[in-house]
Amino acid sequence: MDVGILTYQALNGLTIGAMYALIALGYTMVYGIIELINFAHGDVFMVGTFVTLWLLTTLGVQGAINNPALLVILLLVMFAFSMTIMGLVGVLIERFAYRPLRRAPRLAPLITAIGVSFILQNVIQATYGTAPLNTPQVIDPEAGVTFSMPTFNVGGFAVTSSNVFLPYVHVFIIVLAIALIVALQVFVQRTRLGRAMRSTAIDRDAAQLMGVDINTTIALTFFIGSALAGAAGVAWCMNYGNTKFDIGFQAGLKSFTAAVLGGIGNTTGAALGGFLIAFVEVFSSQLGYARWSEAIVFSILILVLVFKPTGLLGQQLAERA
Amino acid sequence: MSPLRSLLFWRSGSPTRLALARLRSQTRPVTTPTARFLGAHQSLSVIVGMSIVTAILPFIILLPPFNGFGTQTDFVDGFAQAGVWVLLAVGLNVVVGLAGLLDLGYAAFFAIGAYTYAYGASPFSHNHIPFWPMLLVGAAVAAIFGLLLGAPTLRLRGDYLAIVTLGFGEIVPVVFNNSDQYTNGTNGITALYQPSLPIYGNFGFGDPVPYYVTVAAIIAIAMILLYRLQDSRLGRAWMAVREDELAAASMGINTVTTKLLAFAIGASTSGLAGVYLSSKLSIVSPPQFSFTVSFTVLAMVVLGGMGNIWGVAAGAFVVYEIQSQGLKQLNQFVSGFPPLHLGPLNIDLTSIDFLNYQYLLYGLALVGMMLLRPEGLFPSRRRRAELHDIDDAAAGNQELVEP
Amino acid sequence: MKPKALAIFALVALVASACSSSSATATSGNKVVTLGVDLPLSGAETPNGQPTLDGVQLAVDEISVPGYTIKVEAKDDALNGKHDPQTGATNIGQLVSDATVFGVVGPFNSNVAQAEIPVSNAAGLLQCSPANTNPGLTKGASAVALRPTNPTKIAYVRVATTDDIQGQAGAEIAYNVAGAKSAYVVDDTETYGKGLADQFVTSFTALGGTIVGRDGVGPSGQSDYTALLTAAKAKNPQFVYFGGVTADGGGLLRKQMVQLGMGSIPFGGGDGISDGSAATASSFLNIAGAQGDLNTYMTVAAIGLIPDAAKFAADYSAKFGTQPGAYSASGYACAQILLQALKAVGPGREAVRAYVTTTTNTFPTVLGTISFDANGDTSQHIISFYKFDTATQDWAFFEQKDFTSGQVSYPPTPAAS
Repeated sequence: MDVGILTYQALNGLTIGAMYALIALGYTMVYGIIELINFAHGDVFMVGTFVTLWLLTTLGVQGAINNPALLVILLLVMFAFSMTIMGLVGVLIERFAYRPLRRAPRLAPLITAIGVSFILQNVIQATYGTAPLNTPQVIDPEAGVTFSMPTFNVGGFAVTSSNVFLPYVHVFIIVLAIALIVALQVFVQRTRLGRAMRSTAIDRDAAQLMGVDINTTIALTFFIGSALAGAAGVAWCMNYGNTKFDIGFQAGLKSFTAAVLGGIGNTTGAALGGFLIAFVEVFSSQLGYARWSEAIVFSILILVLVFKPTGLLGQQLAERA
Repeated sequence: MSPLRSLLFWRSGSPTRLALARLRSQTRPVTTPTARFLGAHQSLSVIVGMSIVTAILPFIILLPPFNGFGTQTDFVDGFAQAGVWVLLAVGLNVVVGLAGLLDLGYAAFFAIGAYTYAYGASPFSHNHIPFWPMLLVGAAVAAIFGLLLGAPTLRLRGDYLAIVTLGFGEIVPVVFNNSDQYTNGTNGITALYQPSLPIYGNFGFGDPVPYYVTVAAIIAIAMILLYRLQDSRLGRAWMAVREDELAAASMGINTVTTKLLAFAIGASTSGLAGVYLSSKLSIVSPPQFSFTVSFTVLAMVVLGGMGNIWGVAAGAFVVYEIQSQGLKQLNQFVSGFPPLHLGPLNIDLTSIDFLNYQYLLYGLALVGMMLLRPEGLFPSRRRRAELHDIDDAAAGNQELVEP
Repeated sequence: MKPKALAIFALVALVASACSSSSATATSGNKVVTLGVDLPLSGAETPNGQPTLDGVQLAVDEISVPGYTIKVEAKDDALNGKHDPQTGATNIGQLVSDATVFGVVGPFNSNVAQAEIPVSNAAGLLQCSPANTNPGLTKGASAVALRPTNPTKIAYVRVATTDDIQGQAGAEIAYNVAGAKSAYVVDDTETYGKGLADQFVTSFTALGGTIVGRDGVGPSGQSDYTALLTAAKAKNPQFVYFGGVTADGGGLLRKQMVQLGMGSIPFGGGDGISDGSAATASSFLNIAGAQGDLNTYMTVAAIGLIPDAAKFAADYSAKFGTQPGAYSASGYACAQILLQALKAVGPGREAVRAYVTTTTNTFPTVLGTISFDANGDTSQHIISFYKFDTATQDWAFFEQKDFTSGQVSYPPTPAAS
């Protein structure tokens, strides 16, 4: 058994999972508060990658930045820019496409969400074309640490380890995602606005009676969710250096699977689900089933929904008729 | 009932009067003898209507400006293709429009129908079952899969159902694509046998007219059956479940069976379309059944008017023709235009390839429809009444309407 | 409801309609005939289809056939930027119903051909494909199955050689040129890519190599191959072969190989990754990040040493302002063949079909003199080999092999400029 490879794949899984987790948080927050599956959320992430591409192209960034101070500043700018813009896009979508339908039958906002998803995809397709595009990777993806796991031999069962290469970019993404998840938890649990969000999710009318401005709270939820998707978009560009107009659909669906797996409405669950789904994907490739990984992930989705619809950590939703 | 009197009744606030007013606004206003006759003899009206439409369409396109776009053969072939989408839309209408279950993986049943035909009638499978019985077989197989998919998802709330169907819609093409041994994988199955009639012979590749007539006949039969279902107890049960599942259950409707049957019947129409299309094209391959197919059919149903069978059929036909002909013609149309100057913006119309914007237009149409006219372009009266009742309730002061 | 629906449909269709399409004006006395073309001309496929169409157009402009005015009717078989078999079948149907069409150049993609061959076969309209390489279109039982109406009449020929030869070429590059004894194979789960990868596996094993692993990448939306490549790396392959096209992930696969430190492992692909230099947007080389020695090989199922290559390139750039694409010469050749048939036997479809598919007829073309065998395959079984050249940041042609004769040719040493 080669623990080196397993560790390597596990680290791959953590990196991909970090991105899925960030996107899943947006799904779970929106579902928790207005019980809408925001189909457009995956495409918000995709637009985030193109926003990052645009920014880097405008700034004239070609490749890796070596100067640490400059790199830090550029990263801050990239994240702030993408997160703010995507947050605003999310708020706009909510305001014009979902808010008028808040009291309509369930079907209507779902269909609208699909419509918005296609609008976003097509705007990007019309602007950038259908072919994949390279994005500059500001952290050199080939820079990293190489190490090897301890090896031992237990009574004939040999544990070897090939070299594990951990790029700095992966470390950055994992740390960033964890930081954002923790920050979100702190925000939701400890601040007034967070409390407003939680109360709106539990009982909208009661929250309104207690003086919570529902419209602002919901808009804020969308802002945060979409901003996190924007952050995932930046991370994607940094990690893969490539983007395409249709990555939103797949990534969105898998992230939604993650959110459901963890328990819809439950932010910790969404993060956990993101990592779990990424591990499933990575290890199906490891075992040589990469062509089936999509089918495997969606089968998990169906199985979870059929046998344990509340998810692993239990869902947090209001009791509604 | 005139609108003014309904208004007066509305304001009076008595529950009984409100209920009566609602009931009356839902029934068709029986005005002319023809309308009464057609309403009473729906099957006949479907047959007559479809016959007229089928007979007229190949000749309407001989008139300008249509005759500039292509030959009559091309058009009839296009109509035969459109017929496939009409069948799909009519079937999805049962699931989404009548029963209110959002099915986003409808293309999966389409694929199942198509591959069923491939198993029944191709050199690959060493079977040669004629086309006509295969229609029924394909519909039945798709219906069975509809039941299989529906059964575990029935406990789920509507949104989860959408996602599960979407997942299923993604899994099925992947399975077909990767199972080389059973489905010939990504190459698909080729040389499917084409339909043949005793005197007419094999349909062949050159002449689209037999295909056109066949699909028109299939659509007519499907519509007749669906109209019957819509007006039956099952149909009313679907609408009750769509409106309020809890209330329907407490009125004694078996919601499980009702929803399962909606899935199965919707899937069976898709199976019919799959069998038909695969025999016409003579090949079946996995890339034909992507999510965009499901999305396009959904757009057709929403635009056409959820719940209204003729409306959905018309919507599907219109959307398909716009997609296959209209956008191309729009490209040609603007190819001679000079650039537009709108203030600081210079828009060069010739550089816009409208084909690229197709799904953008669908997306905008869906959003616009949901916001402005959720009952669709050709709505059923009941649906329009429901959806605008709810708008009235949001605006004000009725007791009867629930959120 | 129904009359209203009809009325609204008519209205909408009228609004969406335009004036009639243009028609060609014939020079006095000349008969107007049409050369149909069916290629992917929009979206991600434009770099494949457009240069080929330009090659056809160049041929029609340069070659005149007395007594006829030749019009080119180009149809796009791409739907939403990707080649679509159904659209292709509809296009061929439209070309069939246009009585002035005497022959068709196209399609570009093998799975589109699968939908088109039955239609053109039934109509007896000759198709000449510049680029289809899937062997099943002409060879074996699957090819016969594609001709249900007229199984013995061939109406489909191609000037590109087939993937059983291209896969063999790829295997030879891996085994002989790169010296690899083990290979990991990835395909893009599409007709062309998977077929090519299968052929590579057969040939490489026949040469004595071992395949250490085989997997596929989903067509769309998937960008992360690190897990697959990590698993591959553990098996220590000495070569990685990709059967597929750039749009389905070829470029990203190579890029991530480099990022994972597998850049020293040679990489090979077929003509699906032959889409321009590193400067061309979204080409394989562009996405793979052509810095340093990419150690990458590519094959094209067509002759590299075109006789009179310089003249062809000069004529092409004079007319279109760019260098010819990978299949421009093939498109030109197909058009040449059809025009020669027109000259010999006139515009009757059956006459053209019979003339082109007669195995004893030879056709001088820009690719050399070719004829078609009983299956419709070209007699020219030449594969050209390319390697990435760091200096020019483009594919450099280094060898071509004729698989019928076994003869290997090399490009002439360039004269000092």
